[in-house]
Amino acid sequence: MTNNAFWHFLTLQLFKERSKHTSVILISVMILFLLSSVLFISSSIRFSLDETLKVQPDFVVSRLQGGSSIATPLAWGDELLDIYGISKVTPRVYGRYYFTAKEKSFLIVGVDFMEEQSHERLQKLIETTDIKTFFEGKQMLVGAGVKTYLEAHFYKGSYNFLTPDGTFEKVKVFNTLPTQSNLLANDMMVMPIDLARKVLGLGSEEVSDITFNVPNPDEWDMMTDKLSALHYDLHVVNKNEVRKSYENLYNYKGGLFLMLFIIVLGTFALILYQRYSMVYSSERRHIGLLRALGWSINDVLKLKLIETLIVVFSSFILGVFLAYVYVFMVGAPILREIFLGGQNLDNVVSFVPVVDFSVLSSIFLIYALPFIAAVLVPVWRVSVTDPKEAML
Amino acid sequence: MSGDMMIQIENLNRTFAHAGNEVKVLQDINLTIQKGECVILKGVSGSGKTTLLSLMAGLDKPSSGKVLIEGEPISKLPDAFASELRAKKIGMIFQHFNLFEHLSVAENVTIPLIPSGMKMKEIHSKVERSLTLANIIHKKEILASRLSGGEKQRTAIGRALVANPDIILCDEPTANLDRDNSLLFIDILKELHSMGKTIVVATHDPLFDNLSFESRVIPMVDGKIV
Repeated sequence: MTNNAFWHFLTLQLFKERSKHTSVILISVMILFLLSSVLFISSSIRFSLDETLKVQPDFVVSRLQGGSSIATPLAWGDELLDIYGISKVTPRVYGRYYFTAKEKSFLIVGVDFMEEQSHERLQKLIETTDIKTFFEGKQMLVGAGVKTYLEAHFYKGSYNFLTPDGTFEKVKVFNTLPTQSNLLANDMMVMPIDLARKVLGLGSEEVSDITFNVPNPDEWDMMTDKLSALHYDLHVVNKNEVRKSYENLYNYKGGLFLMLFIIVLGTFALILYQRYSMVYSSERRHIGLLRALGWSINDVLKLKLIETLIVVFSSFILGVFLAYVYVFMVGAPILREIFLGGQNLDNVVSFVPVVDFSVLSSIFLIYALPFIAAVLVPVWRVSVTDPKEAML
Repeated sequence: MSGDMMIQIENLNRTFAHAGNEVKVLQDINLTIQKGECVILKGVSGSGKTTLLSLMAGLDKPSSGKVLIEGEPISKLPDAFASELRAKKIGMIFQHFNLFEHLSVAENVTIPLIPSGMKMKEIHSKVERSLTLANIIHKKEILASRLSGGEKQRTAIGRALVANPDIILCDEPTANLDRDNSLLFIDILKELHSMGKTIVVATHDPLFDNLSFESRVIPMVDGKIV
């Protein structure tokens, strides 16, 4: 029956009953917009984390005593170098500096000019800055959040750190880190390694932790065991564990939304079901009348199926499109706070546009199947009853 | 079976379950209607004439017995065939007109032809012809919700005629019309009769007692033909 006349009638029905369809489309678009936004945000965060973790070292070794992290001896680095299969051993100096008056903290990261890896990474991050000049004085590179925060608290151009030995250390703001790195570097202060040691109270033979790479992934499990046996207080973490902890956090937040979505969708499907079943007698009468006028059960089901598919597809496309604009062009106000909120400093994160088509297909199926079933099951039930009964 | 027989009803019974009781709406109906005949099913409300009409149209299923349209048992046919038979052979005019109020006159009349697979051009020409016959062509673009009772009735007639069916079934066609419109309807019925259509009217309206054209009145009382 899918001839010109059928399509003509279908278009006519959709147009003439547009108020009925518009309300259904609007609710669907809202649900899909929210769900797609949440999934776009979590895909984008996951992508950014993956990209960040790609350039991170494979392993991090630190010293743990009584459950607390303490300074790691620099000499451990030499021991690591002696182990076959380990490369790029890099000691790191970093730590939190608390701005107690406002209960905020900054992440201080020390960079060794003589250490090639850190040097290169930093140069990549701030391509326009002359690194050599940066290492010449007591200077720091700050994240966008730090910069805004310091300026708001009248620290323009420099900041006085109170070191653990009770003296003040004035450090000049050399430049700001690019906003693309805000997800991780928003509250970061990058400074030469000796300066960082002083501010954090570390000795010259001490570091916060030591990183290294193990190029052969088959050796990762064995390496963890081997290192744990080296010192009783040696704590080792690999990149996959870091990735998992981040994913757990964002999956938890995304999962909460998914639960809410399923509840909303269930309610919506119930409303639709009622609309097309006993509650809306006009629907029943229309179907009964079509049957009385010579339409077969298949004809009626085909009409309602295509009508429903048009509503489903247009809602889906519109909802996903609006979500894309909201997340990747507007920056997802409100929802961003839910995902990145609770952060130390106000953060401006621009989400990298990432569209995961498998996720989009899942959204479509989760949304479309209950929707189509909620419409077609009652339509089918009415269609198979005698037209006279349906028209009553 | 005679070649002139259009509708044949054999030992037809229809019962409904109501409040735990079985209510017999039609009892042992036997009736034969010839091609081109006009039959008036006459009876008070609740006499079973509408139910009998619905069974003839295949809108309802008998509890027992048969309804044959040109020898085909309509209630036994699979849905696709029964629907095709309804679309091609039977034009139904309902008491409450049963129009799609959000569609125009012409669009309402188009509906029975949609499943036929005809091209839009052909459908348009059939709709025009039918609307002219039902004398409602001048209102073809008007929404059904804006029509008067008589205009709705003529739209329903147009819709019943659009597929050029052999049988026209009318359920209380003048119940919602004033006298002038009722007489107009009878004129249209006369024209249809002259075209050789088989017409069955279920009514209690006295206007159908003495029609100006040949007709057979079948009185019904309590679900039986008397």
